Amino acid sequence: MAKLLTTILTVLVAVIASAGLWTIANLVFNQVERNWSRYKLLTGAVGGFVLGALIAGNRVTVGSEGNFFNWVWLPLLLAVCVGGGAALLPNLSDQRSRLLGAAGIGAAIALLITLLTRTAYQPALDWLALVLWTIGAAAVGAGLAIVLRRPVVPVAALIAALGALVGGWGAAEIGAGGFAETLVATAVPLVLVGARAGWRGRPDETEVLDIERRARAGVFLAPAVIFIAIMLLIPTLRTIYLSFLDARSEKLVGFYNYWWVFQRPDTWNLSKIGNFWGSRLLWIGAVLLLVSLVLGLVARQRTGRAVEIGNPTFLPLVCGTLFVAFALFSVWRGTIANNIWWVVSVSVFSTTLGLAIAVLADNRKLERTAKSVIFMPMAISMVGASVIWRFMYTSRDATQNQTGVMNALWVGLGRLSTGSGIPTYVIGVLLIAACIALLVAVARALVGQRWGAAAMPGVLVILLGWFTLRYWAVWGGGVGGFRIRDDGRIQAQAVEFIQNQPFNNMWLQVVLIWIQTGFAMIILSAAIKAVPTEFIEAAQLDGATPTQIFWKVTLPSIATTIGVVVTTLIVTVMKVYDIVKVMTNGNFGTQVLANDMANTAFQNRNYGGGAALAVLLFLAVLPVMIVNIRRMQKEG
Amino acid sequence: MRRRAKATMLVATGLVGSFTLAGVATVGASADDEVPMATGEVPVYGDFGGAVVTMNGPERSEEEAGALIQVLGAFAEANNIDFTYTGDADWESNINVQVEGGSPPNIAVFPQPGKLADFAREGHLVPLSDAVVDSVNTFWNEGASGYGNVDGVQYGVPVKSDLKSIVWYQPAQFAAAGYEVPQTWDEFTALVDQMAADGVRKPLCVGIESGTATGWPFTDWVEDLVLRQSGPEVYDQWVTNEIPFNDEHIVNAMQTVVDLWTEDNVYASGGSIAATAFQAGGDDLVEGRCWMHRQANFFASFIPAGTPFADGSENAVDVFYFPDINGDRPVLGAGTFAAAFSDDDATMAVLQYLSTNEYATARQKAQAELKGGGVSGFLSAARGQDPSVYLPLEQSFLEILNTAEIFRFDGSDLMPADVGAGTFWTEAVKLVTGEVDAQTAADNIQASWPS
Repeated sequence: MAKLLTTILTVLVAVIASAGLWTIANLVFNQVERNWSRYKLLTGAVGGFVLGALIAGNRVTVGSEGNFFNWVWLPLLLAVCVGGGAALLPNLSDQRSRLLGAAGIGAAIALLITLLTRTAYQPALDWLALVLWTIGAAAVGAGLAIVLRRPVVPVAALIAALGALVGGWGAAEIGAGGFAETLVATAVPLVLVGARAGWRGRPDETEVLDIERRARAGVFLAPAVIFIAIMLLIPTLRTIYLSFLDARSEKLVGFYNYWWVFQRPDTWNLSKIGNFWGSRLLWIGAVLLLVSLVLGLVARQRTGRAVEIGNPTFLPLVCGTLFVAFALFSVWRGTIANNIWWVVSVSVFSTTLGLAIAVLADNRKLERTAKSVIFMPMAISMVGASVIWRFMYTSRDATQNQTGVMNALWVGLGRLSTGSGIPTYVIGVLLIAACIALLVAVARALVGQRWGAAAMPGVLVILLGWFTLRYWAVWGGGVGGFRIRDDGRIQAQAVEFIQNQPFNNMWLQVVLIWIQTGFAMIILSAAIKAVPTEFIEAAQLDGATPTQIFWKVTLPSIATTIGVVVTTLIVTVMKVYDIVKVMTNGNFGTQVLANDMANTAFQNRNYGGGAALAVLLFLAVLPVMIVNIRRMQKEG
Repeated sequence: MRRRAKATMLVATGLVGSFTLAGVATVGASADDEVPMATGEVPVYGDFGGAVVTMNGPERSEEEAGALIQVLGAFAEANNIDFTYTGDADWESNINVQVEGGSPPNIAVFPQPGKLADFAREGHLVPLSDAVVDSVNTFWNEGASGYGNVDGVQYGVPVKSDLKSIVWYQPAQFAAAGYEVPQTWDEFTALVDQMAADGVRKPLCVGIESGTATGWPFTDWVEDLVLRQSGPEVYDQWVTNEIPFNDEHIVNAMQTVVDLWTEDNVYASGGSIAATAFQAGGDDLVEGRCWMHRQANFFASFIPAGTPFADGSENAVDVFYFPDINGDRPVLGAGTFAAAFSDDDATMAVLQYLSTNEYATARQKAQAELKGGGVSGFLSAARGQDPSVYLPLEQSFLEILNTAEIFRFDGSDLMPADVGAGTFWTEAVKLVTGEVDAQTAADNIQASWPS
């Protein structure tokens, strides 16, 4: 009850305070037109108060500890100084005296603050840092001003003041300095701010209107800007800064952390790359690529184009490339390789499956039910899904019953195929029957010279035939989870989905594919429904087959949406964390950048290394984000 | 009487002399100690006006956290303290975030003295008040409290003790199969070979899967082996990195463990050692799939409920001392330490209570009740506890802990967290799965040692 009350009270106070601040800000901006000096006085006083509150609130000054009123007087004093200065100075018509006056007020305030600063906070000034930061910031400010077409000197002075603050206080060892050093570190930024303030005198009529307009816009923008700065901008900058410090964020180490990331075998491991040529995936991929080459040559003779979306060359080409890529990932180990593997397989499979379901379910009976079921995993949290799948992948010793669904099926299949009971023969006969049926379908298509219709059953009959041959032990003693021991006896053998490297990565990816397929399906389904029916009817009138309509009409119409889905998926997958954390915590060669980052920073307390990994992840995601945002802006 | 005899035999195998049956009954108190026995009353140190004390730690099971909350809750109520305890499955990383973020709890329970020392040296921890230090010195011997002492300042209050150099087995089944408890390392390996050849059960149960801490059981084995093969001096140098991690001694120990963990020797219910949860061996031992399981005393929690402990019955489980090599009888142990992040009276009062025999006795009683019989899983080597709250088996654990001449704390818990809770675990997993050899694993761990 007490908690409820405090919560309600907090909310009430926050709402009233926000409304009050907003009203007051607008009242202040009313003064822009009416009374310029009063406007300057008010804004100056607010600025001075905030500065004082920041200093005293952080207990930098003498007497700022203890009760409330001990630190209130400094903000009030600064409010009077800054407000008064801001109100009076613009009345001077001569720029030089204005500048001198403003700089003088800045220096006076600096002296006041320095006198009050506790010895424990006096910075041991790093002169070089102060100079470099100030000049560097001034240069950045000047550049910005030129790009934004603003007056150069005031902007440069303001940014230089920020730089001086960082160089004077941020780079210095706090508490080891003396009075003079504190004075310099305080005075340089404040004098620069003064220079900015004194640069201009009273604005004329049009300028006043411009200032008022921008000030009011600023009030509306401020909450969002402050929020983004606190939640996004400052953490990003701080992470980049931390990545140049050592493990405990104490010493600058330059690019050491980045070197450290790349020299670890965990990040970048090429020791198994020699197995590439022995990889079965590579040879399957090579055969598929060869098939697509042959088909491509034929297609070129006929239509003049070797590869075209939807022509027979297309599928073997894509599948072959994927197989070769997966062969490469299975031997190129390490965090970065794993991340790329995740990106490739999840974005490709989720999009393809989502698209296939969206197309096949379109305007069929039970479309809604089917889509709801497939969308359902999106409602499960990543951690929940990982726990579920971990149970499904569980393996047990060969002598035990398998508790994981996958292994129960696999070992069951092994028992079936190596057994000699009635079920074994029933299934075996059914398999043979299915093969024969498929062969008949292929033969009929071939006789009718419908080459396209022969392709699908053709591929299926090869796969099913291979399976049937294995099942009947014509080739390889059977299929499923079993192994033949040295003494000839047959023993159950579970697959350790989570532990068997390197393909455990793919079993982990399955979880995300399972989740994200629903997302891809929903978006693509909406896009397909938005394709104008006129296009499709026109194509039908021209005698296009449904396959041709899909490849030549529907697909090009939804190309942009596919792009959005793929880029969104890529960003999601690059940041994958929960699944790996829950299922392996990066053990068994499944480490990915995000989990590596969290473990390095928070488990091993190597904040520098963790920050470097975070920056790398950020850099990897950045281009995709830029592409995404650009496209969104174009559409807007 | 069978029980007593069993306990005697255990300790006799574990110790070099100086053991009497009376020693079992006084739970860790040697004759010259003047600590009065726990009364079972909740002490009142004063009225703390409802001061808030938060505490967190890795203990989170119903029995462990439940007993802790029950006992400290009663104390807090009697002293008018607003006390909360949070058990955290990912405590090792979350405490770092809390400390770095400036919002640590008032008290944290550290299973790793190495981590405690890190925090103390970085100025995050508050030294114990004089009253608490006095209490620690009254109830704990220096061997235990020393691990909470950083550079001469006492930061940690010992709250729990673990004994690691023991092997769980079923004596009656052993006898029926004609096996004898091994007294030396050679006898142990010979027994393993014998069991593997007989093929009735696999000799050992091993599992190293433990969520985010996967790999730690391997580190315990290596520590026991370093202690046995190379002696305590090398062990101490290894823990402080005076000799590098990839030193011959350590690589040999790692290799010995891996050589022992062959497919013929190990039953792993998950199909392979890396896929098997370390808790899983309890069922397998009792249900007759393996003969032995080397694991600490807290493993009692994972033995199926209702299994008799050391009472001579057919299925009873018991422990024997993990045999040594050089006859010096080293003992590997561990423990947890509570330390303060804030310097207020209520926090210190809770810490003072944690250090006493009253807490240890009450906690053991509560945990045994929650467990509903058998070994509770809790163990405290504090002096002056009421011995009647411990089973004879638990009393013999304490006897070993208190009288061992060579006692060493779990090395991985003393090492910097980067290694002890980081690469030592991950490289262990790689080594056990055959991804790297012992030398490479040791090289990688050495490379990760913070300079």
